Amino acid sequence: MDRREFLKTGAAISAGTACICGLPVMSAFGQETEESGTKWGMVIDLKKCAREQGCTDCMDACRKENNVAYHNDPRWDIYWIRKVTIKNKQVPGLEKTVPLLCNHCDKPPCALVCPVQATYKRADGIVIVDHHRCIGCRYCMVACPYNARFFNYKENPDWPNREYPKRSHGVAESCTFCTHLVDGGELPACVQACPQKALQFGNLNDKDSDIINVIRKNPVKRLREGLGTEPKVYYIGL
Amino acid sequence: MEIKFEKIEGNSAMFYLWSAALAILVLGGVYSTYLMYTHGIYLSGMTNRIPWGLQIVLAVFYIGLSAGSLVTSSLYGVFGKLEYKPFARLAAYLAMLLLIGALLSILTDQGRIDRVLIEPFSHFNPLSMFSINPFLYISYVLICVIYLWAMLNEKEKWTKIIALVVVLWAIGLHSGTGAIFGFVPRELYASPLLPPGFVAAALSSGTAFMILVILALFKVTKRTLDPRLIHWIGRLLAVFIIVALYFIFIENTYRFYQHESRHAAHFFLFGGFHSVLFWVGLITIGSIVPAIILFREKTGKSISWIVAAAVMCVFGVMCERYLIVLPGLIFPPEILPGWQIVQSPMEEGIVAYSISFAEIAQALGVVGLIGLLFIWGMKFMKLVPKEAKMLAED
Repeated sequence: MDRREFLKTGAAISAGTACICGLPVMSAFGQETEESGTKWGMVIDLKKCAREQGCTDCMDACRKENNVAYHNDPRWDIYWIRKVTIKNKQVPGLEKTVPLLCNHCDKPPCALVCPVQATYKRADGIVIVDHHRCIGCRYCMVACPYNARFFNYKENPDWPNREYPKRSHGVAESCTFCTHLVDGGELPACVQACPQKALQFGNLNDKDSDIINVIRKNPVKRLREGLGTEPKVYYIGL
Repeated sequence: MEIKFEKIEGNSAMFYLWSAALAILVLGGVYSTYLMYTHGIYLSGMTNRIPWGLQIVLAVFYIGLSAGSLVTSSLYGVFGKLEYKPFARLAAYLAMLLLIGALLSILTDQGRIDRVLIEPFSHFNPLSMFSINPFLYISYVLICVIYLWAMLNEKEKWTKIIALVVVLWAIGLHSGTGAIFGFVPRELYASPLLPPGFVAAALSSGTAFMILVILALFKVTKRTLDPRLIHWIGRLLAVFIIVALYFIFIENTYRFYQHESRHAAHFFLFGGFHSVLFWVGLITIGSIVPAIILFREKTGKSISWIVAAAVMCVFGVMCERYLIVLPGLIFPPEILPGWQIVQSPMEEGIVAYSISFAEIAQALGVVGLIGLLFIWGMKFMKLVPKEAKMLAED
C-alpha cells in the first residue's frame, strides 16, 4: 500500500466511524420531546415587587431554608435569588427592581455542558445539581447565560436549617425551586416569604392553574429568550 | 541513512541540581493543591464571576504546545522527511508530556479532585465538551506511547501508520479544546472560528517551543545540529503565525461589525489590561515581529534571530490563551438586554481577576513534573541522536 492509498483508506475509515458513532448522538440531540405531567414554573410581578423598596425577604428566606453560604465577601457569597436594581439604557430615570434566580431553563446550557451529568433536569422541569457527583469543574457557571450558578469556594460556616443538607466546598449549586418543599406539596421558600405575593409558583403544563391564568392575562417576558434556553421564570412588568 | 539515537548521560552535578530544583517545584504544587483540596479553592484568585483562572489558561496553553511538538515529529512520520527523523522521538515524547501537563492542570483545578477519576467515566455525558475532551486527551497520550514505542524499536511501518493517526487525533483534540469555549453562549466565547483558530495558534506556539527545546538540548548536551534544519522549521513557523493571525483578525472583525456584539468586541480590544496583552503581547510581539524576522532572508537564517522569534511567538500564544479564557469571563453576560444593573448584592458588571500565590505554586508544580519527566526520560530512553544534519543540498 503506498502512502496515497493509505491516506485515502485511513480517511475513509475515520469518516465512516465518526458518522456511525456520531449520528445517533446528533439525532437524539435535535429531538423535541413532548412532556406531559408537571412542569414547574414561576411568575414574578415586578410591579408588586416594587411596592416594598429595600425588602429582602425572598433572599433571606431562601438563605435560611437552603443553608446558602454567606461569607460577607462578594467574591464568594452565594445567592440563589438576588434582587438587583436596573436602569434603562435608553430612557433616562427609568429604574426597576428585579429578583434574579435560576430560570430552570427547559433547554439548560448548564446541564448540557456538565461532564458528569451532575446537573440535570428532573422530569418536572426543575434543574438541580447532584452534590454527591459534582466534580467542581465550574463549566456550568461558564455556560449559564444568567450568572445564576455559584460555587462553594469555601466551607459554609452556618447551618440554620438542620433538616436540609448544606454543601461541602468544591461543588457548584443554584436555586432548586426548593424541591424538598415542592415535593411535599409546599411552595418554595421565596414564594412563601414575599409580603406582596409578587412571586407565584405553579404547574405550567396545567392549563387551569393560577400561574397559567396569570401568564395568559398579562404581558410577560423571559430573560434572553433569543438564546433558545426556554426559561421557566416569567416576568410581568419588565 | 543510519541515525544513532542515544540516551543522555544524566550523571553530572548539573543534572541532579536540575532534578532537585524541579522536585521542589513539584512539592510546592502538591502542597498548594492539598491546601485547596482541604480548605476550598477560594485560595486561588477565582470567584463566582471568574470561575476559571490560571490553571485553565495554562492547560489550554500546554495542549497547544503539544500539537506543535507533534507537527515536528510528523515531518518525519507523516511527510517522510528523513532529515527530521532525529527530532521525531523527542518531539513525540514532549507532545505526550505536555498533554500530561495539561491534564494535571485541569485535574488540580477541580473542586473535588477525589471524584475526578471516577465520575466522568461512570456518568459520561456525550454532549459535554468537558467529557469528550478528556477522552481525547487520554487516548492521545496512549497513542503517543505507542508511537514512541514504534519509533524506539525502529518499526517503520507502524511508525507511519501511528504518525498519521496521532496527527489526525491532535487536530480533533485541538478543535475539541477550542469548542470548550467556542460552543457556550457567552459574548466573547461563542464562535465557530475558535476551534480552527485554536489549532492554528497551537501549531505556531508548539513549533516555536520545539525550536527552542531542540536548540537548547543540542547545545547543553554538546550535540551537532545543522542550522539549515532549524531555518526550515522557522519558515514553517512563520506560516503558522500568519494563519493564526488571520483567524484572530476575522473573528474580531466579525464581532466588531455586528451591533449586538460590538460592545463586547470593544471591551476585548480596548477595555483594559487584556487589551494591552492583545495589541502588544499577541499582535505585535507575538505575531508581527516574529513573522517579519522569520520571513526576512537575513534574519530568517540566523539562529539567534530565530530563537528570538520563537520566544516571542511562545509568549504571544500564552497571551492569546489568557485572552481566550479570561476576558470572556470578566465581561458580564447581558442578563437584561437594554438595561444596566446598577445595584446588586453580588458582583455584576466588569470584575477583576488576580492570580493568587497558591495558583502560581500549583502551576509551577506542573512545570516541575513535566521537567522531571523530560530530563529523566532522556536518561532512560534513546530519544536524541548525537548529530542532526541536512540530507542533501536543496
